[in-house]
Amino acid sequence: MHKLGRGHRDKVQQFMAITGSSEKAAVQALKASDWHLEGAFDIFYSQPHIRTVTDSRHLEELYNRYKDPYVDMILVDGITLLCNDLQVDPQDIVMLVVSWHMKAATMCEFSRQEFIGGLQYLGIDTIEKFRDKLSYMRSELKDEQKFREIYNFAFGWAKEKGQKSLALDTAIGMWQLLFAERHWPLVDHWCQFLQVRHNKAISRDTWSQLLEFAKTVDLQLSNYDEEGAWPYLIDEFVEYLTENGIVQRHQN
Amino acid sequence: MPIHSPKTVDVEAGMAVLKQSVTKLTNILEGLPEMPFNTMEYMLLCTYVVSTDSFSLSLLSFLRLMMDLLLSTIYDFCTMKTPNDLSEQLYAEYKKSLMDYLHSTVLPSLRSKNDEYMLKELVRRWLNYKVMVRWLSRFFHYLDRYFVKKKALLPLKEAGITCFRDLVYEEMKGKIKDAVISLIYQEREGSQIDRPLLNNVVEIFIQIGLGSKQYYEVDLEAPLLQDTAAYYSRKASKWILEDSCPEYMLKAEERLKQEKDRVDHYLDHTTKQKLIENVEHQLLSVNEIQLLEKENSGLIALLRDGKVDDLERLYRLFSRIPEGLTHVSQLFTQHVKAEGTALVSQAENAASSKRAEKRDATDSPQLVLIRRIIELHDKYMGYVQENFQNHTLLNKALKEAFEVFCNKSVAGSSSAEMLASFCDNVLRKAGSEKLSDEEIDTTLEKAMKLLSYINDKDLFAEFSRKKLARRLLFDRYANEDHERLILTYLKQQCGGQFSSKMEGMVTDLTLAKENQSCFEDYLYANPHAHPGTELSVSVLTTGFWPSYKSSDLTLPDEMIKCIEAYKKFYESSTKNRKLSWIYSLGTCNINAKFDAKSIELTVATYQAAVLLLFNSADRLSYAEIKAQLNLTDEDMVRVLHSLSCARYKILKKAPMTDTVSPNDIFEFNSKFTDKMRRIKVPLPPVDENKKVIEDVNKDRRYAIDAYIVRIMKSRKALGHQQLVLECIQQLSRIFKPDVKLIKQRIEDLITREFLERDGEDPNVYKYIA
Repeated sequence: MHKLGRGHRDKVQQFMAITGSSEKAAVQALKASDWHLEGAFDIFYSQPHIRTVTDSRHLEELYNRYKDPYVDMILVDGITLLCNDLQVDPQDIVMLVVSWHMKAATMCEFSRQEFIGGLQYLGIDTIEKFRDKLSYMRSELKDEQKFREIYNFAFGWAKEKGQKSLALDTAIGMWQLLFAERHWPLVDHWCQFLQVRHNKAISRDTWSQLLEFAKTVDLQLSNYDEEGAWPYLIDEFVEYLTENGIVQRHQN
Repeated sequence: MPIHSPKTVDVEAGMAVLKQSVTKLTNILEGLPEMPFNTMEYMLLCTYVVSTDSFSLSLLSFLRLMMDLLLSTIYDFCTMKTPNDLSEQLYAEYKKSLMDYLHSTVLPSLRSKNDEYMLKELVRRWLNYKVMVRWLSRFFHYLDRYFVKKKALLPLKEAGITCFRDLVYEEMKGKIKDAVISLIYQEREGSQIDRPLLNNVVEIFIQIGLGSKQYYEVDLEAPLLQDTAAYYSRKASKWILEDSCPEYMLKAEERLKQEKDRVDHYLDHTTKQKLIENVEHQLLSVNEIQLLEKENSGLIALLRDGKVDDLERLYRLFSRIPEGLTHVSQLFTQHVKAEGTALVSQAENAASSKRAEKRDATDSPQLVLIRRIIELHDKYMGYVQENFQNHTLLNKALKEAFEVFCNKSVAGSSSAEMLASFCDNVLRKAGSEKLSDEEIDTTLEKAMKLLSYINDKDLFAEFSRKKLARRLLFDRYANEDHERLILTYLKQQCGGQFSSKMEGMVTDLTLAKENQSCFEDYLYANPHAHPGTELSVSVLTTGFWPSYKSSDLTLPDEMIKCIEAYKKFYESSTKNRKLSWIYSLGTCNINAKFDAKSIELTVATYQAAVLLLFNSADRLSYAEIKAQLNLTDEDMVRVLHSLSCARYKILKKAPMTDTVSPNDIFEFNSKFTDKMRRIKVPLPPVDENKKVIEDVNKDRRYAIDAYIVRIMKSRKALGHQQLVLECIQQLSRIFKPDVKLIKQRIEDLITREFLERDGEDPNVYKYIA
């Protein structure tokens, strides 16, 4: 920016304020239009963008709508309002996907950076655009790779700040939610088992390995290797299933 | 030899002379008496050596006369110009002569005889024939020089042997073989046979091969081996039914010796291994299992009855055959395991019946068990080392067996605890006349051998430590030499981590004695500091000793004075050390004035505290005592029971039941008396077993963590299975870790971010630096 002359600098700033684009894009467009603002706008808007550009003013407005009056964050009330505006249930799993895009640290709150940064990334600056994006976000859950990322993200997001493990109730809730999207027949047994036998918080390792278990081990548990590196809790679960006759294991 | 220029040779005349000579030679040989087996005479025939025997002279002289003539004749024949060269004809004539001889004389004579006679005749004929060949070869020698080589024919001697082989041997070999085998059978059945004859016959088989042993191997050896197999198979089947194991083995050993002897005397040495293996197979391999498992005389019976000679024979025999010792060691393990397990069951039964009877005068079943296991070990280790030549398989078998029952518990006491109690018991006897020093040392050594079979070595160490503490502090039974001895054994087995602490404990007490004399000097120098009661204090180093709960006992005044006095002394001599007083470990000598007489009581500090209360009150309730002393109910019951319901009833209890309850009232028993002036009123210790097991389990968790981190730090990345295996292996010296526990520790380490799973393969862990 400092290489440009003063006049150019002003134009870049103007351009950025109006289009909400990055400095680089602004400079590019202005250069291409020989430093004519109007021409630059044409060029800019006619270029095929992968994501749509957001208007940072709109984003500010949106943020302020939901932000808590006393703290510079969006808290529970703000989120409820947001969900209302989006016509979505706050328990809807799509909110998890939203949080994931925002890289939210904890559930039920968004920082300014998280909210605005996330929406910018998604190319959303109005509620309408937000609503439109929801179905796309839902579809992301069908993608194996993304689902795994979202699933693993959910652990850090759902647990209490400062805790290493996830409280059992929360974990069960999350599992019910997640495995509704990606069907795993044993999820109910798993939750029941945990409540009966374990009754303690869930470690991150157990959380992430459970997904692997659900993905790789078949329902007869015929390819389950108890000598393998499965977490202890999952070994217990397999025992529990066999003991209670829920699964008839044929040992290889 | 004069070289003639080519001249007309009278072929016909020459041939005639030749034929005559051959005939003459044949006749002479025929005329020979029974072919002597005397090698000397045989040699005479083959050489020019003059002998005194007239017969040999005549043969030799004739041959000498003929020699020149024959040689030159043949030379002439051979050097005639081709195509007149008669070499080929001569060669043919040579062979023909031999074959005629064989046909006309040798074969008929052999055919006419049988069995041993036939064999004798065969040998005679063979030796004769060889002489014949030798001489004829000499005559026809010139052929060997050029003709044979040029035409790549067999040299004369070999050609001669081949004639015998093709004509005689091929026809007779079956009969010969049968005759030989028949003789061998007779010898096996106990008769004496003509061994030198057989030796010679075997020689024929070998020499007929002209350098190769194939005829011997195919025509004699193979059928012989087959026959041997059949023979011994029959014998073995008979013996296995009729004979006991030792008897069978004796016979087998004898037979093997005989067969070896047989080979040495008249078979070819290459047969030895095949024959012996053959016999071993029939006599030993085939029936091994049946033999070893014979009901009253098999391996197990021999072991039980200590039949060392038979056991040694058994070992000798079965170590010869491949895999022979496998079954022996299996049976050995089985038997030892059974014996050991039976001992354990006995102990278990004794323990439960003891509980029912509530007698405790005799040694506890656990103690007896350890003693018996040691005896068992001595016995069977003895077998392995002395009778089985310390063979690895048998050593392993012994170890396997002991590892099974040495890890069983009896009446809730683990084997680790039982062994620790046993050693404790032995060490307490040091100083009494019951066991001499040497006996103690040997017993301890043997006991510690058992430690190698026990999985939970760390549990043993912890129990030992607890008992050592009691010995050092309460019972004063400790003999430093013996204590250090047992620690040396412990160090050998498990490394220094346990023994170092216990050595520290022993040293502490030695230092404590020195410290005590310093204290006494101090009191002498500062009489005003004396608390009024004799006091001796042992200062223990915290890390070495087992952890003890410090109690909140409210001390009687007399004791408080003592504590204060010592504190002043200690602070004056040592800085920066904190003293924690463990009243539960102290003892006290109290003078009790009963109606009849005064008796000095040796009691624990807790007991003393209770008794001293009765200096100011005659009767006290349970609640009052508890309030004044601030003891726990558990301790209250224990202490009061020892003073009012046990052997010496220093206190009277109302009501006079056998157990202490919170509603009881206690009174000083002034009527109490005893014939002794001093008595010890024991206070049974709290059952520490649970705590010991808890402590050990905690240490195990730390140990597993430490090893996992250590392994991962050096390997950086490792698969799950290997990590578990290495962990188990490295810890095996101390204890046998539960695989589940290891898994849990790994997960804990993942949570604590020492390890992580590999992104690609969740079965692999990576070390987080």
